[in-house]
Amino acid sequence: MNFVIVLLALLGSVWLLAVVEGWTTTGRLRPAAPLLSGLAHLGRESIVPRTPDRVFFETAPVLLLIVAVLGAAVLPLAPTLVIADLATGALFINAALAYVLVALIMAGWGPNGAYAMIGGWRFLGQLIAYAMLIVMPITAVAMRAESLVTTVIVGSQDGLWNIVYQPLGFVLFFIAAMALAFRAPFDLPTAPGELGGGVDAEYTGVRLGVLRLARLTLVITLASATTVFYLGGWHGPLLPPWAWSLIKTLAVAVSMLLAGRYLPRIREADLMRWCWTLGIPLALLNIIVVGLLVLVVP
Amino acid sequence: MYAQAFFVAVFGLAAIGFGVVVFRTSSMVRSALALLFSQTAVGCMFLAMQTEFLGVLQIMMMATEMSIMAIFMVMFMMDPGGLGGMEMTHQKRFSISAGVVAGGAAIAVALLADWGPVTVEAPDAEMQTRALGIELLGRSMLIFETAGITILTAMIAATAVAIPVYTLSGNGGTETKETSE
Amino acid sequence: MTLILILALVTGAILFGVGVYGALSQTNLVMIMMGVELILAGALVNLVAFWRFLHPESYSGQMFALVVMTVMAVEMAVGFGVAIARFRARGSVEMEEAGDLKG
Repeated sequence: MNFVIVLLALLGSVWLLAVVEGWTTTGRLRPAAPLLSGLAHLGRESIVPRTPDRVFFETAPVLLLIVAVLGAAVLPLAPTLVIADLATGALFINAALAYVLVALIMAGWGPNGAYAMIGGWRFLGQLIAYAMLIVMPITAVAMRAESLVTTVIVGSQDGLWNIVYQPLGFVLFFIAAMALAFRAPFDLPTAPGELGGGVDAEYTGVRLGVLRLARLTLVITLASATTVFYLGGWHGPLLPPWAWSLIKTLAVAVSMLLAGRYLPRIREADLMRWCWTLGIPLALLNIIVVGLLVLVVP
Repeated sequence: MYAQAFFVAVFGLAAIGFGVVVFRTSSMVRSALALLFSQTAVGCMFLAMQTEFLGVLQIMMMATEMSIMAIFMVMFMMDPGGLGGMEMTHQKRFSISAGVVAGGAAIAVALLADWGPVTVEAPDAEMQTRALGIELLGRSMLIFETAGITILTAMIAATAVAIPVYTLSGNGGTETKETSE
Repeated sequence: MTLILILALVTGAILFGVGVYGALSQTNLVMIMMGVELILAGALVNLVAFWRFLHPESYSGQMFALVVMTVMAVEMAVGFGVAIARFRARGSVEMEEAGDLKG
């Protein structure tokens, strides 16, 4: 039962996000547009490039979708509304999202295209930049909650949300989450302006439809993770818990979209330099500060 | 119990199957990703054996580790796409017999040894994570720290070996010395 | 329950055998490292099975598995460092061409 509800919530959020994305790019609010373009993808011809690695080509979009849904499976919408309340939830979401990289390498290598391949390997470099900035802020969150269980993590933010308790961790995690979801300004693997679509370039028809759905689901999963780890999850006055979770998730997802619209795409070397020379020391500082706070403040 | 045996067997078969694919395919990316899925299946076996933390950790670590393996395969192999049908093995008969002897001996020990009484109930996952943490920062702290220092040393050593040899030349010493013959 | 223990041990043994075959038969350094990874994976399966079915009260077993995972990571890092240095110096990481490393 929980499974169906969470899946429906995920789909609903993806639809809303797609509508908002259309609204910000075209300036018109068309609620039916995502459904129509999804149907259009089904109708279009789905071209397979010459001499592809067929296994990778077919698996990649599906793997990306599965990974995004698996990541959402450990994130609670309400105290009992969670698919799998694992004892290692905060680690499991890292494990699931590590396979985004695998899916993108498959999508890059599979279609036997130069742009796609460059896009796929670029994401490997991007992973080396953002990976530590996903894991280390989550470590600080787990330190405060004294648990890896996601529901306990939300419970630990009852009085004070983590965004106030460890703002540095929030900023780092938010940026790293955008890099993980390869949204602009970190859309190096797709880079419409310079790589002609990158990993998306060779996909058409149904497969492109699945790939786009997977990307939006990934954004929602990461926004939901930000909500659970930093924005107090289901906590909030008046409204029921699930409503607060959804509102916060959508707000984070939309702010990710907006941040991408007003920032230029970053170069791979710059991303690497900033993440390792500035991001990781700051993340270590965050861990130390949170450790001191946990020890000093009862 | 039967469900557990079933899942352990299925993931074990998957791990072995993907492990064999690693050396059977000629496409290097396929080879690296087959190793990845073999390791993931090993992680799933841990989950089936109720060792949640290690299972999730294995699944997480191997995803990035083997993807990095993939790019090194593409960089260093003569024929990364595997379309040229290059021969990449040597001393075949010796290696097959060594593999069979080593695996066979280990299987024989597994089947013949008397393992004594086997525990049925595993500690629950939350207890395990907690107990492992206390073990890490208690009795085994020195080992854990040594492992950490070893990784640090390996990182520094590997980087030192891998960076090109610089020589001081006219333009500020950024020219790479040509070391090939 | 002994059945599951033996299943896991046999899986570990076969992975070990496949890894030994790979490490001995491949000519490329990176492929040899893949064989070594498989050997270590077989060892990991055994360690976890021993912990789970024989001594679940002693967490040193899980600790040992963690150390083996560390060894896997260290092996990768050092191996790739050597591979890069070798490739830069000689243009290949093929074992057949590495006779000059003999003392």
